Amino acid sequence: MKYSSFSPARIWTLASATVTQLVRMKILAFLLVFCVIVVGAGFAFPVMNPEQQLKLLKDVSFGALQIFSIVIAIVATSLLLPRDLEDRTLYTILSKPVPRFEYLLGKLLGVLVLIGVGLILMDIAFSAVLWLRQTMVLAQSIGALKQEGVATPEAVAQLNEFVGKQGLTWNVHFGVLAIFLKASVIAALALMISCFSTSTLFTVVITFCVTIIGHGQSLIREYFLQGHFSNVIEKLLSALLAIVTPDLGVFDVVDNVINGELVSSASIGLMLGTTALYLVGYSVVSHLLFVEKEL
Amino acid sequence: MKRHLQALVVLLLLGSVKLPLEESVTQHLRAAKLLSKPIDLGIRESVGQMSFAAALGGLRSLIASITYLRAYRAWENIEWAKVDSLFQITTRLQPRYQNYWDEASWHMAYNAASSYLYNEDIEPMVRGKFYADYIQRGIDILNEGLRFLPDDARLWNALAEIYDRRVHDPKKAAECYLEVHRISHNDRYARFAGYQYAQTSDPELWQKAYTLLKTAYYKKQRQPSVIEQIKNLEDKLKLPLMQRIPEKRQALEQPQGMIRPTQ
Repeated sequence: MKYSSFSPARIWTLASATVTQLVRMKILAFLLVFCVIVVGAGFAFPVMNPEQQLKLLKDVSFGALQIFSIVIAIVATSLLLPRDLEDRTLYTILSKPVPRFEYLLGKLLGVLVLIGVGLILMDIAFSAVLWLRQTMVLAQSIGALKQEGVATPEAVAQLNEFVGKQGLTWNVHFGVLAIFLKASVIAALALMISCFSTSTLFTVVITFCVTIIGHGQSLIREYFLQGHFSNVIEKLLSALLAIVTPDLGVFDVVDNVINGELVSSASIGLMLGTTALYLVGYSVVSHLLFVEKEL
Repeated sequence: MKRHLQALVVLLLLGSVKLPLEESVTQHLRAAKLLSKPIDLGIRESVGQMSFAAALGGLRSLIASITYLRAYRAWENIEWAKVDSLFQITTRLQPRYQNYWDEASWHMAYNAASSYLYNEDIEPMVRGKFYADYIQRGIDILNEGLRFLPDDARLWNALAEIYDRRVHDPKKAAECYLEVHRISHNDRYARFAGYQYAQTSDPELWQKAYTLLKTAYYKKQRQPSVIEQIKNLEDKLKLPLMQRIPEKRQALEQPQGMIRPTQ
């Protein structure tokens, strides 16, 4: 059989093995916790106005989605290499004609598949609760208008508009996509760090720190590009931070998606492009670090 | 070691390439109103380190919701200063969500102002001052919100209502209603502006009111209040009989007590 130096099938095999490995670690238990949070948020605070009730449900759900995806991206990716070393699976795999970059790509793809599937399942649960809550809130509000004898067609239409803006739209799913893209970048970053780190804890802590800095990177970058720093050391440090850390704030469209702003295809394209740039860049660096790593 | 150096070079190269790209993507997303401006660093002391880190970490909307709920609780406990400061944090975290501005101003201009006005534990002079101060605070909140959302009809309407119902400044109320009309194209608000201008003591503004209400009249918005207001304005402006609306002409031509048959 002819040997190919790059095989998507091999990468896929590694990815599916990674998914199985992570599922066995009971990582998806978070899904249950998420469902409880969403249902709880959906039916809490009934005294608030309908618009605010739906906004709160979306805030809590998107918050939980972000935390889930970021934690899984950091922890699951950080665990992969050390666990494979500990179990000696890494030696079994690399003793076969599997290039190291394929091993890395398989691992990364596995984490991304796991996060993606998890987010899709949570998106379905979240959408169902949001739709249910939207229907209930609308029926209650129209009922209240009727009781007061002011349910004019204009009033009902306005109510529909207000509630519809905060209800289930395609935009909600674009928000989930943005969360997935952010998690992908963080997973690639964690994989890169785990390629030179000496312990899982080190990888988790450093990736977590870079993730926090990454969310404020736009501040650092703007300060650097606009020349707000006068001190040379400040300038150098800000430049270094802006260069080394990814701008994770680019994916924070969720805040405004919750408010009903529409996500254009151009914006999605730009986010996808940015994610691709980071994934390729961090994967190349990971390969260069991993190829020399003594196992 | 060679590979490690190569990795460092690639990382730095990637960083240098991505900086201008990130900047342009950020600008594009801000122009599309999908990204908010960076969080104000001054807010850190108000929300606490953990909340600030969370807000910075993409959970801005969630933190805003939490501070909103705290403001709601403070409102239930009638702690107006706390309501104001918590809404200030909430609106700073999410300045593009009009509901927060609207609700914050409503609490100040209506709830807090009335609460002080009817508080018998406070000296009458002080009550009046607090009443006026809190109404002004409501106006300031809306004006600040309109800096972020200049084309938000809901905020302009809230401002118009405060000028109308609390400050009793019909001229400013009319200007705000005209803004609502400009944004929403709903003729009802042009009519509201007309009612407000009619309440002023300036003949020039009566003319404006007359024009607005006559436009409504010709658009078949002939509610009794519109007709009554037009008739009053025609009297105030001393318009000749032929320029007046038919309803007014009929009333003037018809001797009192007689019912003119309909045509």
